[in-house]
Amino acid sequence: MASSTSTLKYVPTTCPYCGVGCGLNLVVNDGKLVGVEPYKRSPINEGKLCPKGMTCWEHVHSPDRLTRPKIKKNGKFVDATWDEAIDLIAKKFSEISKKNGPKALGFQTSCRTVNEDCYALQKLARVGFQTNNVDNCARICHGPSVAGLSLSFGSGAATNPFEDVLNSDLIVMWGSNAVEAHPLAGRRVMQAKKKGIPIVVVDPRYSTTARLADKWIRFNPSTHIALANSMMYWIIKEGLQNTAFINERTKGFDDLKKTVEKYADCEEIHGVPLETVKSFARQYARAKNAVIIYCLGITELTTGTDNVRSMGNLALLTGNVGRPGVGVNPLRGQNNVQGACDMGAYPNVYSGYQACSVADNRAKMEKAWGMKEGSLPDWYGSTLTEQVNDAGSVVKAMYFLGLNPVVSYPDSNHVKKQLEKLDFCVFQDIFWTESCEYADVVLPGTCFAEKDGTFTSGERRVNRVRKAVDGPGESKYDWEIIGMVAKKMGLKGFEWKTAKDVWDDMRACTPNMFGVTYEKMEKPESIHWPCPTVEHPGTPILHIGKFSAADGKGTMFGLEYRQPAEVADAEYPYTLMTGRVIFHYHTRTQTDRAAQLHYEVPENYVQINTIDAKKLGIKENEKIKVTSRRGESLALARISEDVAPKVLYMAMHFAGGANNLTNTALDPLSKMPELKHCAVRVEKIAGAK
Amino acid sequence: MAKKGDMLYAWTNDAGLLKKAECGGAVTELLKYALESKTVDAVLAVTRGVDLYDAIPVLVTDSKELDKCAGSLHCGTILMSKLVMEYAPKMSGKKIGMVVKGCDMMGLLEMAKRNLVNLDNIVMIGVNCGGSVSPVAARKMIKEKFGVDPNTVTKEEIDKGQFIIEYEGGHKGISMDELEEAGYGRRSNCRRCKVKVPRQADLACGNWGVIGPKAGNATFVEVCSEKGAKLLDGAVKAKKLATEPANPKGIEVRGKVESAMFKLGDKWRKHDFEALAPVLWDTIAKETGRCMKCLACIEHCPVCVTRADQYKQPEMMVRHGFIPADPMFHLRRFAHISDSCINCGQCEECCPCEIPLALFSHAIRTEADRVFEPKLGKSAYSN
Repeated sequence: MASSTSTLKYVPTTCPYCGVGCGLNLVVNDGKLVGVEPYKRSPINEGKLCPKGMTCWEHVHSPDRLTRPKIKKNGKFVDATWDEAIDLIAKKFSEISKKNGPKALGFQTSCRTVNEDCYALQKLARVGFQTNNVDNCARICHGPSVAGLSLSFGSGAATNPFEDVLNSDLIVMWGSNAVEAHPLAGRRVMQAKKKGIPIVVVDPRYSTTARLADKWIRFNPSTHIALANSMMYWIIKEGLQNTAFINERTKGFDDLKKTVEKYADCEEIHGVPLETVKSFARQYARAKNAVIIYCLGITELTTGTDNVRSMGNLALLTGNVGRPGVGVNPLRGQNNVQGACDMGAYPNVYSGYQACSVADNRAKMEKAWGMKEGSLPDWYGSTLTEQVNDAGSVVKAMYFLGLNPVVSYPDSNHVKKQLEKLDFCVFQDIFWTESCEYADVVLPGTCFAEKDGTFTSGERRVNRVRKAVDGPGESKYDWEIIGMVAKKMGLKGFEWKTAKDVWDDMRACTPNMFGVTYEKMEKPESIHWPCPTVEHPGTPILHIGKFSAADGKGTMFGLEYRQPAEVADAEYPYTLMTGRVIFHYHTRTQTDRAAQLHYEVPENYVQINTIDAKKLGIKENEKIKVTSRRGESLALARISEDVAPKVLYMAMHFAGGANNLTNTALDPLSKMPELKHCAVRVEKIAGAK
Repeated sequence: MAKKGDMLYAWTNDAGLLKKAECGGAVTELLKYALESKTVDAVLAVTRGVDLYDAIPVLVTDSKELDKCAGSLHCGTILMSKLVMEYAPKMSGKKIGMVVKGCDMMGLLEMAKRNLVNLDNIVMIGVNCGGSVSPVAARKMIKEKFGVDPNTVTKEEIDKGQFIIEYEGGHKGISMDELEEAGYGRRSNCRRCKVKVPRQADLACGNWGVIGPKAGNATFVEVCSEKGAKLLDGAVKAKKLATEPANPKGIEVRGKVESAMFKLGDKWRKHDFEALAPVLWDTIAKETGRCMKCLACIEHCPVCVTRADQYKQPEMMVRHGFIPADPMFHLRRFAHISDSCINCGQCEECCPCEIPLALFSHAIRTEADRVFEPKLGKSAYSN
């Protein structure tokens, strides 16, 4: 970069929060961050940022940062040298692996950290311990997207870029509150609205995004499949399906048609009046180009994969895939949730979604990684929450990179109990989180401002992350720490000197990303994968002319509606939904350290309907108790009609909050826990105001 | 000896710089001289980032580094004013040289009124500005209206009412009117701007009015202050800069260009304000009703500086934790800047919710300026 003066330096980089991947300039003054300035050159956000992006530098120099490795000795954490800490980790993991086998270890990486860290951790798991027990937290946000879209279209990623909604004739936002969860993708919808493109928001809650809608369709929580099936029944009944597209490019229509016949009118399930269903079905089918944008409202359920496939069904039935202005786009939650999956931090695939079950892939990776023939495992590894569930029985040691499971995984009390059962546990992070208490070793990593690397956004665009300042104290690059463990174990192939070395290591064994070089990422347009060769310009829109599936076809599925695992009953009469607020990010380790963000939402709150509040005698902002079969949570009441009677909404950011209540029941296909739906009861707290 | 009101042609005596710079390189030379003569301790200027659509500010203390700041970047839409206060705190008490467009200059004057900067410590080299184009919009315009790959563009300029590009394989100009009618072109605040020659800077420089043999090889300099006169004299005396009196015909031409720009500014004001007038309240309510409280309109506004205790005070009409922001969030800001909005456009350009904030506050100020007098802390300019 041209700015060489030391007193004022702009470092163009990528926002560390959601999966939109906004560009921003970190401002450095004498080696310290002093602010964020717009990076107007970025085509993604044109210099615009949300409240989180604007303040994303504030936590970096916090005095609370981890600066030295710590080891638990006699129940107390004491400072340790890197050598001691790495030695202990290598020794313990080797011992446990030797004694209990590869399934006794669990490796989990955050979707918050750079691709290079994710690749390094899964490589350590596979090369060092021959285990596929490696996963990332996409499992609890868009795991069903990866599974569902792969089944429908042959690729588990978003089909079209964010900006492409401006080419659409109808935007359907289904289970996505983009304005709060992906604000700069929300901005594209605002632009579309100004252009006059109609917007339909399908959400049980009158969300901030629903306020933008031309039509807001409230439906009963978690009844997506019934609603989509009913729409498809009417589309087919009225002959509005795209027969040419169906014949040429898809299979499974008959299966779908047969299934949806039962869903002509199922208002008693989804709660949407029949006429509304019909008119929405017609509107979607008749639009020249219609795009579906969805998010965790679709995925975080035990029917997650089927919900995603239902979105795929709608798009395939109406021919809305494979050109500008159409598609099915999951808004990926975290900055690098796309990337963490792409890097193979997944229990059944290597980088670029090369299946571990395929012998040729294993042989290729063994060669690339200098391993003995036949040493890589073919089995489907244990997933994120399965590893936690198996702690103490099958799984004896775990390595968490940038994760706070005690707050972010479902059923916090269960998670705590499970972590206590481990023989050995490592947390590598930038702050001391609620989860670090359960560690044997805590390692200080570096944050986005302190390292080079890449984040892959929800539109499959690989964005550069650039180092602006040094990490605090003895902290190290996270891939470097993983390399140190590998070196201690005598492994080869971890001798990276830079983030680019790690990236090139990955590229060399990843055909769909081979052409994405650091050089090509220099300009903020960067590259959308797939990009198989260095000359290839990248692929902003997927499935043009041909689906990514082996047979080139899109697949429709007949899918039956199923109830959530736990529904409201006499004892727990309310349905709890969960989600995000714009001012916080995940477990608030970063955002709560920004002055404005803390000011805006310092405490957990729960949305409750006016009728229910009146019945229970609850006043606005009164602290109330919400209880599920798994635990309880205190929260301030926010009373409105935004949620329907008997439905509550709580954000997932607070310790002792939503995840004290949530259910661990899993989607059979993607192992997604049912974070968005559980049964609770609500009580006034005696003496509360 | 130069004095306030003088109009000159000026160019550098440095052959190397002459090649790199535009129009005789006088601006860069004056800044270099300001550093070398210790008139200033540092220069806050703009340089090219990843390409010519990316402008980034730099604080330069070594005059050799200033060569990289030569030339103009019409796709750089930075406002320099607030950066001095925020990112050069170590320079407080020291002297800083700055290149300022009209908006940068107005921002500094507003900040000076609020004691946020001391203008005695700032040397402002003003540059004429007919407006700027946001970088992503510029690339889109070049691709769609010029039919040229924006990555192949090697030079852009705004001259004689045209946006002109040079690219690998040719050059092309399209009239701003045509571009703007089609929804491309300058930022909407720039279209309405009427501070094209920054005369409250110390020197006002530009290429308008340079005619005859010096056309393209010299900069038109209007001396606007004693400070400016002194800097110019020093640079000439040190043989860094050569000058000659401006051609009277050239002065006339410059005046004509400026008044043509005013006319265009008036046309856009009429266009924008008349459309807003009958639906003012509804439009403000509707547009600000999307606000996600990113605070960019405050952070990037040279007139908005928040109180350190803002989060410690009891809440009144703007509730914490709610979006869209309550109406008073915007109303209090419009009120605060009502007599000081410089129409720099940062609030609008940086707004993630596509709220035309500059349109609203510029309309308020313009109407207020038409009706009320005198004002407290009246500005030296009017926009």
